[in-house]
Amino acid sequence: MNIFIYDSFLNQKKYGRLLARLETRITDLGLNGKIFRLNLAKNARETINNELKRGAKTVIAVGNNKTVNQVINSLAGSQVPLGIIPIGQDNNGITKSLGIESTETACDILSARLIIKLDLGLANQTYFLSNVSINNQGTVIDMNKNYTIETKEKGLVYVFNLLDKQIKPPAGIKFIPDDGLLELVISTYCHKNFFAKQDHQSIFKIKKITIHNLKNQLTLDGSIALAAPAKIMIVKKQLNIIVGKKRNF
Amino acid sequence: MFKKQDQTEILNEFETVIGPSIKVKGDFNGQGNIIVEGKVEGNLKTNGNLEVGKTAIITANIEAKQAKIGGQISGNVKIKGFLEITATAKIFGDIETSGLSIERGAIFNGKCVMTAVAEEVKKIDKNI
Repeated sequence: MNIFIYDSFLNQKKYGRLLARLETRITDLGLNGKIFRLNLAKNARETINNELKRGAKTVIAVGNNKTVNQVINSLAGSQVPLGIIPIGQDNNGITKSLGIESTETACDILSARLIIKLDLGLANQTYFLSNVSINNQGTVIDMNKNYTIETKEKGLVYVFNLLDKQIKPPAGIKFIPDDGLLELVISTYCHKNFFAKQDHQSIFKIKKITIHNLKNQLTLDGSIALAAPAKIMIVKKQLNIIVGKKRNF
Repeated sequence: MFKKQDQTEILNEFETVIGPSIKVKGDFNGQGNIIVEGKVEGNLKTNGNLEVGKTAIITANIEAKQAKIGGQISGNVKIKGFLEITATAKIFGDIETSGLSIERGAIFNGKCVMTAVAEEVKKIDKNI
């Protein structure tokens, strides 16, 4: 059976028509299943764990990056694949990276059921699919005991598993989410003069790092806040996921 | 036109990029190809190729498979294959390589040992 996890923000009235249209399309494609609406009293973890025990065939996150993050933290390590239906344009970078461009195309992609196994990042106890980011001011990156990295210019530190549109890596450098490696990207900018801004990028392939910062928090998948210090590592082939043909890897 | 194609081919293979705003301190051991445009202090070692940009300042001993150097290096350079030193390069240290090209304008202060030739000399000595 398919399990649809609707995020709590979809309880707003303005999404009513869109959801009705979505449900009609899902029924037309023969993908219908149980719908669970998250709210303050009902969390994703408990619901998904119960449904996995009952033999769920697919878990489908309906919402944005935050919904996906909540679902992968319950689904990691399971053989049951994750499907995603993005709602709205904001905070939906993960679906775009996976080749799922809109709510309408997501239904067709679910129907085509192209499943691949991806790595997941783990920051302390929380999984992330796409990236972790933090302001580089006051950030100390502990790569391993051999060397340290310092930067004086302003910018952001990212740890990517799945490339998001937030950054454009130098031509030809590929981010592959099933290669057993994470990509540490330090993106800095400096003002050459009042008009000209220069961006610099540094990229390191890593398996494990610790990020320290006394002032700022880390953001997981663009939506979940996590206090530093954080031990970040890769967990290989941890999630089955339904993807589109236009994915960026 | 041909030069552009060559550059993309090189970039395709790189795994680590140390940008101009970054300073790496310590022993950096890479597996793949590396581009350095920032500062490195310590040791820099890779099994792959190394490209040192003109903004790079390296105070370290370097080991790589092949290298193209356009920045400043204070330390010894040991390259298994071919070493290309471009016009903007400043190298203060010894070089050990099996193939070498130095462009006009480059600064090199140090000794240079060509490993392939050194091995041949050893063989001749043994025969004698």
